[in-house]
Amino acid sequence: MDINIRPKPYLLFNAFHLIFIIFSIQVGVGLPGFQRIIVMESGHDAWISVIVAGIAAHLVVMVMIATLNRYGSADLYGIHQDIFGKWLGSIINTVFIAYLVLSTTVVFRAYIEIVQVWLFPELPVWSMAIFGGLLAIYAVLGGIRVVVGVSVLSVLFTLWMIFLLYFPIQYAEWKSLLPIFDTSTLDILKGAYKMSFTLAGFEILYYIYPYVKEKEKTSLFTHLGLLATNLLNLIIMVVSLVYFSEGQLLKTIWATLSMFKIIQLPFMERFEIIAISLWMLVILPNAILPLWAATRGMKRVFGFKQKYSLHGIVIIIFIAQMLLKTRDQVNMFFDWFSNKGFYLVFIYPFILYVLVLVVQKMRQKRGLASNETKAPSNKSSN
Amino acid sequence: MFFWKRKKSQGDNLKEDKKKNELPIHRQTTVEMIEMLKKHFQHSNDLMYRHLKDHQIVLVYIQEITDADKINQNVISPIQNLDSKHLSNEVLMESINVGGIKSTNDFEEVIQSITTGWALVYLSKKNSGILVEVGKLRERALSRPENETNVYGPQIAFSEALSTNKALIRENLHNPKLCIEDLLVGKVSRTKVALFYIEGISNEENVNTMRQRIQDLEFDSVFDAANLVQLIEDNSMTIFPQLMLTERPDRLGHELSQGKVGVVIDGSSYAIMGPTTFLSFFQTTEDYYVRWTMGTFIRLVRFLATIMSIFFTPLYVLAVTFHYEIIPSDLLVQLGQTRSKVPFPPILEALFLEFTIELLREAGARLPTKVGQTMGIVGGIVIGQAAVQAGFTSNILIIIVAISALGSFTAPNYMMGNAIRIIRFPIIILAGLYGGFGVGFSIVFLSVHLLRLSSLGRPYFYPLFPFRIKEFKDTFIRMPFPKLAKRPDYNDTKDEGRFNQHRANKKKDIDE
Repeated sequence: MDINIRPKPYLLFNAFHLIFIIFSIQVGVGLPGFQRIIVMESGHDAWISVIVAGIAAHLVVMVMIATLNRYGSADLYGIHQDIFGKWLGSIINTVFIAYLVLSTTVVFRAYIEIVQVWLFPELPVWSMAIFGGLLAIYAVLGGIRVVVGVSVLSVLFTLWMIFLLYFPIQYAEWKSLLPIFDTSTLDILKGAYKMSFTLAGFEILYYIYPYVKEKEKTSLFTHLGLLATNLLNLIIMVVSLVYFSEGQLLKTIWATLSMFKIIQLPFMERFEIIAISLWMLVILPNAILPLWAATRGMKRVFGFKQKYSLHGIVIIIFIAQMLLKTRDQVNMFFDWFSNKGFYLVFIYPFILYVLVLVVQKMRQKRGLASNETKAPSNKSSN
Repeated sequence: MFFWKRKKSQGDNLKEDKKKNELPIHRQTTVEMIEMLKKHFQHSNDLMYRHLKDHQIVLVYIQEITDADKINQNVISPIQNLDSKHLSNEVLMESINVGGIKSTNDFEEVIQSITTGWALVYLSKKNSGILVEVGKLRERALSRPENETNVYGPQIAFSEALSTNKALIRENLHNPKLCIEDLLVGKVSRTKVALFYIEGISNEENVNTMRQRIQDLEFDSVFDAANLVQLIEDNSMTIFPQLMLTERPDRLGHELSQGKVGVVIDGSSYAIMGPTTFLSFFQTTEDYYVRWTMGTFIRLVRFLATIMSIFFTPLYVLAVTFHYEIIPSDLLVQLGQTRSKVPFPPILEALFLEFTIELLREAGARLPTKVGQTMGIVGGIVIGQAAVQAGFTSNILIIIVAISALGSFTAPNYMMGNAIRIIRFPIIILAGLYGGFGVGFSIVFLSVHLLRLSSLGRPYFYPLFPFRIKEFKDTFIRMPFPKLAKRPDYNDTKDEGRFNQHRANKKKDIDE
């Protein structure tokens, strides 16, 4: 396996698409109901937790880009191979592939949960899982360009929903934000920790980085995308805090959707039904970007063709969704996943960066030409 | 995708056949020449030949497709006036009074030319023959565009004759850089196809792709542009057209000048152009003839109409079947009243009415215009009124279905209008079975599908992906011309400036 990959030119996409990719993969199943979980920890200062978590995410992305910059055009699989060698690298890569597959499962299962609660309590899990799986296969078969395209459309077609927040703001009680800094620092940090499930997703940069056309602009556009998500999270959190009372918010599982519920127009009410229907477009990037990255991993690590591993992975995801039957099981699984995800997404990049620095320094000292790893190998692989 | 490529073995055999047929003309007598030609034309009756100058010269042509006057006055009489002793190909070529004349020794070319209205003048025991263009053009008068009508702009449409269409394009673009390449398509029909592009503007990759696809085509017969376009499209497993058909020479001229590639095929009153985006099927030349404010407005109306046309009926079905809470209570009471008499579930009601509209449309398209007027009465009054009174459908659904039918007719391109009408049916069914989830699924599926399509290898859903906000000024809206200084990025033109934007937008101070 080559450490650096040189995709064919027509597969590359412009760097500014990263705004859409990062935004669309972060906005997903977390957003409809993250308020309750944060407020449980940090009360009416939850919005501070959102800001703190956002800043942490920016730091993590800075470290990720710094790591990637040490290589020319490598992805996470290649970096692992370089640092840990063939065997250990493959094992760690497998862990990350498993994480990607699980995150796709979580996204689909969470969406099915929302549909079952809000639209069709009777609709069986398997029928919706089949629809989702077919869409995912159809999109990923189109390759990286279609996957990125879905992210762009997902943002363009659903961004208008932000304006729906105008209606709950009419009933806002701004005083409920006061007093500021009422909560202890520890609780705010705990709240920020709980944000990790909502914020996760930007780790996709590790996998799509080789496909960015203008690599020097990666940093700018990734941070812009991240900033957009953080602003959106902050706006929704503030609006929820001023619209609901704290006690009410603690009992509302999907606060964002509950806010859409009150909208009344002369020809249409209850916008949450439209929102949930369109939410499939919002969650699709969350599902297919990791799915695509997982198939890439299967190819890079084990040499399976992406076409075949895609179908296998989707079948595994389908079975995994069927195994989660009750609401409790789903909740336990999500908690377990977001706890583990925190370490992989927020902590691991720092460890990896230090390792890369140390290994490259050691090689330099040992007299090995460092440009052997740094300089791109001329051999190209798709 | 390219299903003709799978039958490669057949195609190879054909190419070998072609090589065997390649006989050079080699010092035959005129009688031998006639025998050879007769054999190749299967002793067909309409192959005429005439000996001149004491069997030294023979003239061969097909009577029905040639002009008798031209042959008599411009070919036979000058030859008869020649001196029999000093005959040579050079003398013949000088004496014949026809512009289209060429000398060839390729027998295959001779046969091909005779079938397209040329005559062979062969001088005994020479290595080459002379081909004279004496074809008779059978064509109708030029008419107004029927399917792409405009209020403003030139009111002329392509006709069926290739030469006329070539002339129409030349009249639009008096430019020496306009390149016309002649190609041949169809093993049986042998149809002439002309490829158009402007050198220095069009991207060579596009030109090569288009030429390659037409040349590689191994299909027995191609009679129309609508026929050819299905054979050279990127993906045939979709209902969306990926190359544009137009009957307006001004539209083709405009698109050529913006860097597209055009194809005109003999016998068709439509021209093909590409590469094309999904959104360009909702544009017309009229958008550029009216003022930009109006142009922008009608474009937006068209997009809105299309979205309504696709999603209005499914929304009704999903609201009435599952999610009636999205309808405000005042409206819900009215809806309930009109629906109270209807015994069917909403999905059947909607499908029944949509199907009726399709019936009306299809019957209207097939009937002669004089009878066609009755269709309006039958459709509008009899079916509409009676269906409601009989309790088959609700009044509100009739309004919704009528609006979405109207919406689908606003698509300026007939193919795209059809596609929009067809995709409505699966969405209605999904809405009836899975409510909002089904409609959400169909929106996502359509998005992914459109992203996967390409036109001549270029992204079809441009400028939404790859996202180019600068291109919105001539896709969703139409900005005034001073703002449209660059040719569309999509065509990837060699020369992208339409005019000097700097000079055009020079700002003057007050009172200067």
